[in-house]
Amino acid sequence: MNTHTREKNLMMKFGKFAQRSFVDNFKSVLVIIGFFLFWELSVRLLHTPEYILPTPSSAISHLLFKQADANYNWALHIRTTVFEFLVGYCVTAVLGVGLAIVIVWSKRFKKLSMPMFTFINSLPIIAVAPIILLWMGYGIKTNILIAFLVSFFPVIINTMTGLDSIEDDLLDLVRYLHASKLQIFLKIRIPNSLPYIFSGLKICSTMSIVGAIVGEFIASDRGLGYIIINSQYSMDTPPIFSALIVISLAGAALYWVVSLFERLLMPWAFKSQKV
Amino acid sequence: MKRKTLLIVMIMFLSYTILWAAGQTEKNAPAELEKVDFLLNWKITGDHAPYYVAQKFGWFAEEGLDVNIIVGQGSGYSVQSIDSNKADIAISDAPVPITNREKGANVKIIGIIFDKHPNCSFFWKDSGITKPQDLAGKTIAVPATDGHKLMWPAFAKQIGVDPASVTFVNIEPAAKVSALASRNADVAFELYTGKPFMEKAIPADKLGYFIWADYGFNAYAHSYITSDETIAKNPEMLKKFLKVVYRAWDYTLQHPEESIDILSEYHPINKADYVANLKVVMEFFKTDRYKNKGIGYIDPTRIRETYNLVDQYQQKLSFPVEDCYDDSLLPNPMYKYNF
Amino acid sequence: MEKSINAAIRKIVPKLLYFFIFLAIWQGVVMVFKIKVFILPSPILVFQHLLDPAIAVKYNWWRHISATLMEVLASFIATAIVGIALAVLISWSRLFSQLLSPIIILFNSLPKIALAPLFLMWFGYGFLPNILVAFMIAFFPVIINTSAGLIAVDDDLLDLVRYLNASKLQVFVKIRIPNSLPFIFAGLKISATMCVVGSIVGEFIAAEKGLGYLLRDAQAFIDTPTMFACLLLLSAIGLTLFSFIGFLEKVCMPWENVQVEK
Repeated sequence: MNTHTREKNLMMKFGKFAQRSFVDNFKSVLVIIGFFLFWELSVRLLHTPEYILPTPSSAISHLLFKQADANYNWALHIRTTVFEFLVGYCVTAVLGVGLAIVIVWSKRFKKLSMPMFTFINSLPIIAVAPIILLWMGYGIKTNILIAFLVSFFPVIINTMTGLDSIEDDLLDLVRYLHASKLQIFLKIRIPNSLPYIFSGLKICSTMSIVGAIVGEFIASDRGLGYIIINSQYSMDTPPIFSALIVISLAGAALYWVVSLFERLLMPWAFKSQKV
Repeated sequence: MKRKTLLIVMIMFLSYTILWAAGQTEKNAPAELEKVDFLLNWKITGDHAPYYVAQKFGWFAEEGLDVNIIVGQGSGYSVQSIDSNKADIAISDAPVPITNREKGANVKIIGIIFDKHPNCSFFWKDSGITKPQDLAGKTIAVPATDGHKLMWPAFAKQIGVDPASVTFVNIEPAAKVSALASRNADVAFELYTGKPFMEKAIPADKLGYFIWADYGFNAYAHSYITSDETIAKNPEMLKKFLKVVYRAWDYTLQHPEESIDILSEYHPINKADYVANLKVVMEFFKTDRYKNKGIGYIDPTRIRETYNLVDQYQQKLSFPVEDCYDDSLLPNPMYKYNF
Repeated sequence: MEKSINAAIRKIVPKLLYFFIFLAIWQGVVMVFKIKVFILPSPILVFQHLLDPAIAVKYNWWRHISATLMEVLASFIATAIVGIALAVLISWSRLFSQLLSPIIILFNSLPKIALAPLFLMWFGYGFLPNILVAFMIAFFPVIINTSAGLIAVDDDLLDLVRYLNASKLQVFVKIRIPNSLPFIFAGLKISATMCVVGSIVGEFIAAEKGLGYLLRDAQAFIDTPTMFACLLLLSAIGLTLFSFIGFLEKVCMPWENVQVEK
């Protein structure tokens, strides 16, 4: 096959990939719109009081239009939350993968740290956060720490599993060929674990926004979490749902970005998606 | 092995740098003002308006103070923070610092907020409850950390009900109204100042309530607290703080709508709801004591009653009542509430 | 027989040792720095509140422990079954994937505790609502991991079996599912600890009993020894469930290589 034909093939494959992604995403958007319509209609038909469940149109109008009675300052709060959650996510992703690599590398470190990580992860953060707050005080660092504590575990577990699940035959082969531990690590374990790492990162993406919000419930006077908790007290429910809509869209957006990276870095994994 | 470790160390260092950079976005105050960390009792409510009024009009700065108002986590957390020097002054329900003084927390009450106790019980009128004694055997929804739950044994004994005869359902503070509205509980304990919010879910003509103070519950409620150490080392700062705060209360009580307007510049609140909330708060300031002696006055008799309630029903106290408060820091002259 | 007892002891003893060292350090720190009991209680005090009959009796520990334990176990079983089933559905059918995936992803970004008043209104409180909340919090890792496992199959292997005219079902059952076992177990491990967290979130929303209920009560009275005792118990439940899944993993996948080289 000459270069020209190979290029043409690649272009066609990429075109198909792009087309399919577009169709997939378009259908996802349709589903989401469908869900919002369902929500709007149910509330109207069932006459649900606004303090229990407002309509999405009420929630969105509280978000987009200036309200006579309140000054929500959405820009400030959205910016705060997005900053916390993105930074928290990057820190978690990097540290999580890094720690998992260290754990798999050194059995001693694994014995020391795994029980501790499992221990930390079983603690409900909403119970522990006031204690953390007392020790560390308010501020964005505490929020990021809380987001980290909530979302680091999936990254570590998945990365570890990925690094460990190598076929025995393959390992025997490369050892027979006198591969060093480092070589095995770099050339076999890490590439093999990419699907696992990306799964872990995808799980982590939605969890880190939950972590950032929980952090704000406890340790902040700004951010979308703060708006929620403030509005809850006064039964001012529409802004709660405005905040929740922004939060889920932000989490979904990050998830989508991670999926995109996954597709780009592991194109071979997706050819087999056509079952 | 070394290369890997170096890589990991570098990544961690990078991460820490990002965090540090984020920290730089917090603003710094002018250096010549004295920094004060003031911790509220809970999330923002109408009765927090005065502090923002003072902030807006620059009254703290006039006295040389740079006050950082921190949203709170409950009276218990306020006491913990004061005792561990995380905050200089805080708001707390009066029995809490008294109880915890016995456990080693060196905190004192230095000023009062609500003169009449706003504790209240809400229920559906059609549930058949007409007097406090009817609470026996009912299911009560209240957040565990709420002052109502802590003071329930004392109030129960006062009205002649066995405190253990009720079933408590611990709820998220946000769910107070929902718990009662959905009839998942017979009764909700909430401050009377929360009535406007209750009425959003339960129409006023169907909402029954009784205020504990009307049945003899005479303890003090929200108060300003600080540590023994601060009183000893920095009484001037406390005096200035209280002077500004009560001046702000004086202003707020005369101009409730404007105060809520100012509050809404700092926090995302619904103004109409909070004005209703603040107006109810004001009712608990309209007492003869506040008219004649001034807002924030610590009445020795009522402090003693609070102390006795704790001593009898919560925790045996080994220190004299004088140890739990200090009224020498109140402004002189006091601001009187002419309602 | 002797060998496996020996092996078991050799595994547990170091872990217990680390635990005791950790306790000793904790005790040391509290004593040396004279930390006040309501900032950080000493482990001795914590265990007293848990085990010493004179003090522990007023907490009625077993009532609360059993309530939470039931919730954790029930929600975990529900999470595992429903999570894996949904993942299989999503991987099998493109239509379901397009319908369900966006909803699941959006839903999972919501902090469930923000919906507390709503949940209370719609579902009330008690054992079943708590399991529901725990499920909602813990199901995502199982779905994501299981789907990833079902998809990430070696291309050559797929080409081979297709060449041998394997049907879609055969490919699924004989190739995809066994291939995804490591993924599934990883997902279950993550969800196990999240079931603990989720049960507690459910109890925080509204409850009459359970470790979450006790934790809140202890917070109210600044009874830090009891608070820490609850937290330790919760972690113990999480760790136990986690280890049990690890054990199941070795049983189901004995071929998985164990890291042997130093």
